Amino acid sequence: MNNAPEKITVIIKGRSYWADSMGRLRRRKLAMGALAVIAAYLAIVLFIYAAQWTSLDIPILNWGQKIGAEYQPPSRNAIFGTDFLGRSVFRKTLYGARVSITVAFWASIISLAIGVPLGAAAGYFRGFIDDVIVWLYTTLSSIPYILLILAFALVLREKSLNLKWLGVGKVELSGIATVYLAIGLTSWVDICRLIRGEVMKHKERDYILAAQSYGCGSSRIIFRHLIPNVFHLIIISFSLRFVSFIQAEVILSFLGLGEKNNPSWGAMIDAARLDLPKGYWWEMTAATVAIFLISLALNVFGDALRDSLDPKLKVQ
Amino acid sequence: MCYCRDTESLTTRRTTAILSGLLSFVLLITSGCDLASRQTDDNTTTIYGAYTAKVRGLDPGDIGDTTSSIIASQMLECLYQYHYLKRPYELIPCLAEDMPTVSADGLTYTIKIKKGVYFTDDVCFADGKGRELVADDFVFAWKRIADIKYLSKNWWIFDNRIVGLDEFREYTKTCKRAADVDYSKEVEGLQMPDKYTLVIKLKKPWPQIVYLLAHLPTAPIAKEAVEYYGKDIINHPVGTGPYKLKRWHKGSYIEMVKNPSFRDEYYPSEGEEADAEFGILADAGRKLPLNDRIIMVLVQETPPLWFLFMQGKIDVSGIPKDNFAEAIDFRGGLTDTMKNRNIRLLTFRDPSTYWLGFNMEDEAVGKNLPLRKAISCAVDRDKYIELFTNNRAEAAYGIIPPLMKTYNPDIKNISETSYDPQKAIELVKEAEKIHGGKLPRLRLSMPGTDAVFRQYGEFFKLCFSKVGLDVEIDYMDWPTFQNKIKTKSAQLFSLGWIADYPDEENFLQLFYSKNKSPGPNNFNYFNPEFDRLYEQICVMGDSAERDALYRRAEKIAVKDCPAVFLSHGVAYILVHDWVHNTRPHAFGYGLSQYRRVDTAKRAAYDELLRSLK
Repeated sequence: MNNAPEKITVIIKGRSYWADSMGRLRRRKLAMGALAVIAAYLAIVLFIYAAQWTSLDIPILNWGQKIGAEYQPPSRNAIFGTDFLGRSVFRKTLYGARVSITVAFWASIISLAIGVPLGAAAGYFRGFIDDVIVWLYTTLSSIPYILLILAFALVLREKSLNLKWLGVGKVELSGIATVYLAIGLTSWVDICRLIRGEVMKHKERDYILAAQSYGCGSSRIIFRHLIPNVFHLIIISFSLRFVSFIQAEVILSFLGLGEKNNPSWGAMIDAARLDLPKGYWWEMTAATVAIFLISLALNVFGDALRDSLDPKLKVQ
Repeated sequence: MCYCRDTESLTTRRTTAILSGLLSFVLLITSGCDLASRQTDDNTTTIYGAYTAKVRGLDPGDIGDTTSSIIASQMLECLYQYHYLKRPYELIPCLAEDMPTVSADGLTYTIKIKKGVYFTDDVCFADGKGRELVADDFVFAWKRIADIKYLSKNWWIFDNRIVGLDEFREYTKTCKRAADVDYSKEVEGLQMPDKYTLVIKLKKPWPQIVYLLAHLPTAPIAKEAVEYYGKDIINHPVGTGPYKLKRWHKGSYIEMVKNPSFRDEYYPSEGEEADAEFGILADAGRKLPLNDRIIMVLVQETPPLWFLFMQGKIDVSGIPKDNFAEAIDFRGGLTDTMKNRNIRLLTFRDPSTYWLGFNMEDEAVGKNLPLRKAISCAVDRDKYIELFTNNRAEAAYGIIPPLMKTYNPDIKNISETSYDPQKAIELVKEAEKIHGGKLPRLRLSMPGTDAVFRQYGEFFKLCFSKVGLDVEIDYMDWPTFQNKIKTKSAQLFSLGWIADYPDEENFLQLFYSKNKSPGPNNFNYFNPEFDRLYEQICVMGDSAERDALYRRAEKIAVKDCPAVFLSHGVAYILVHDWVHNTRPHAFGYGLSQYRRVDTAKRAAYDELLRSLK
């Protein structure tokens, strides 16, 4: 019996770039641990916002409440001890996450919103536009970063933004808004430079030439073709810069330019600076450990994300 | 002197302070070592001090800050000075021969100037030899303050006081250049019948003038010095005082040496009863100054100052807040660390009052007495003093501090604003009725943005929230704060006052309606009865009747509750055992001449430190 061989069709399903990257990321246990820490911080922040919006009175978030004697060391009643007014340092530390993470989030969004389009425009159009943008960011980057943030924070303080055209009206800039605006407006240079270089590289590739030959407009090419292809860099930059924005917020708060009416980690460190010589170490420790954990987690996760999204960049 | 706690820690200065702090520490170590080695090399006795503020300039006409005043007062003198030892504080002649002769109407003051007082030798004089002081040197100095081209910050002293001086100021406005001002132009109220007599004619009685004549800006100045040094006179004080400037390393230290042409002045032989017992009168009758040299080290922050004091490189120090526990134990006495170093503690009352002021022209608080009282009753003053001053203050319920003669110990009961949260809650309900509904969110302006001010703010916020008051704290830098006060746009504000001279009028003027913002009445307080009393008081000489009126005026203002009076300061000073005759003084500045140093004891301190290790 002559049996004709059976035709076997094997359909190999291809994996997308993102699925491939996420697969690589999931295999990294340390990164997953870091992600869990980040998720915990984010959950705390979202929980605080939810409680605020719904006006829920949750004792653990009532940081202004006196829970015991002043300067009580860590104990069962006060897990991280109490501050100079007998308030819980633990509650202040939790609440401080809201300020730091909100600032870092919005500062990242602002810096990306400025840096990515400018970088893409400079890299794509070159010529005069490139010259102007490069001149602008070279000038900005020549000013020491912290001094630049301080200058912006001082200028923006107690000012108001007229957003009538958005139907919002006048928005007073104070505390937290000043901080993320100051950080966001001053820290777009690196991402701009990165995107410019990457766009210059991609501009010469076939898919862009094809799009151009089809008659696509510049904005369509930039936003539909170029930016999606460099998006992994934006994500990596977002995660790695998030931590530096948290640190910038801490510095600004420490220097008295940050959030004033609510606790933040920087403000806690600034206040604890006065208490440390008296032997009251717990407020300083709590704020520092909170910053350390989120910084470490973001750095570990950011590195892992970079290696997963762009294995070519992997540090050997 | 308008004062806010810890103005030096304004946030805008913080970043530069970090760098300059490091730099000054290096300089200090260098200069400190240098000073220590010189100390043992020669036989001169030297006073070593340190200050944590900039010396802005030593030109008396434009002097305004405390550190500059202290340093300049060692070299410059006024017509009058405070007796070093007598309490209550008493004025005595300095460059004047005697106390002034006052006409019956209180408008003419005749002052005889001491003969044989010479300016210190300086290149500005012919042959470099200091010439004799004459009445014209005072007239010149005061006309200079009036000169609009000179832009002195001390014009307030003479503003609308002396006949013809305001007209002289107007005349200087018409001059195109500073050099065009003719100082020989006569001022009717400043006459010199002879070169040792000064006659001052006032527009209206002003008994406090004698205190101002002991205030450094009214010190005489030699025309030759102004002409020779020009704008650089801020670096070249040419005075008649016990010391003269030898060296000034900007940002590092100032060295002053005994003025060889200083006249014969002697250590006082009278003081308080306990002075003899404590050896303060041991040097009675000795020629001043009692030491040859003063070195004032200039630092930017308190840690290096404390370090220098503990190492014995400076003689006297205040106690920085952060080092309080190291110096003072829980009973309020010295710790063993201090006792083992033979360090002594001196305390004295400051002529100061600190408050949270209400803007009486503000719709919400100005017209609502129960609300102001509720806020006042909500503040736990004792806790405030414990937390922020290490108990170095007394609770305040009125304007006049305990140091002053007419301090009213019963003012607490009169004001009815002692800490009582329950009463505050009742008052809030009453205030809501007056307001016609729920009270709006109130705003408290703080004159600083750093951690210390944030702690103040958080404390007040906690106090207010306990009685159901919603108060938002606005932290701002000092210029913004001042602008807010001057434009009457602050609702509640944190401020204080340190008296310029020992007269209660200096406090009561803060509530006089004609002094409303931008004047010193930051409360914008107005009470016709108070005004009438104040106008009556401020032309009266010292008398029991005036004292009674002071008390009455204070009572009127306190009953209206224009402020939450918080505290009256108490100063703590630490002194090494080799310094003698250290008597704290709330108003006097040029006091180094009275101090005596035991160089042998100072030299033994290093050994003592080694043994303690």
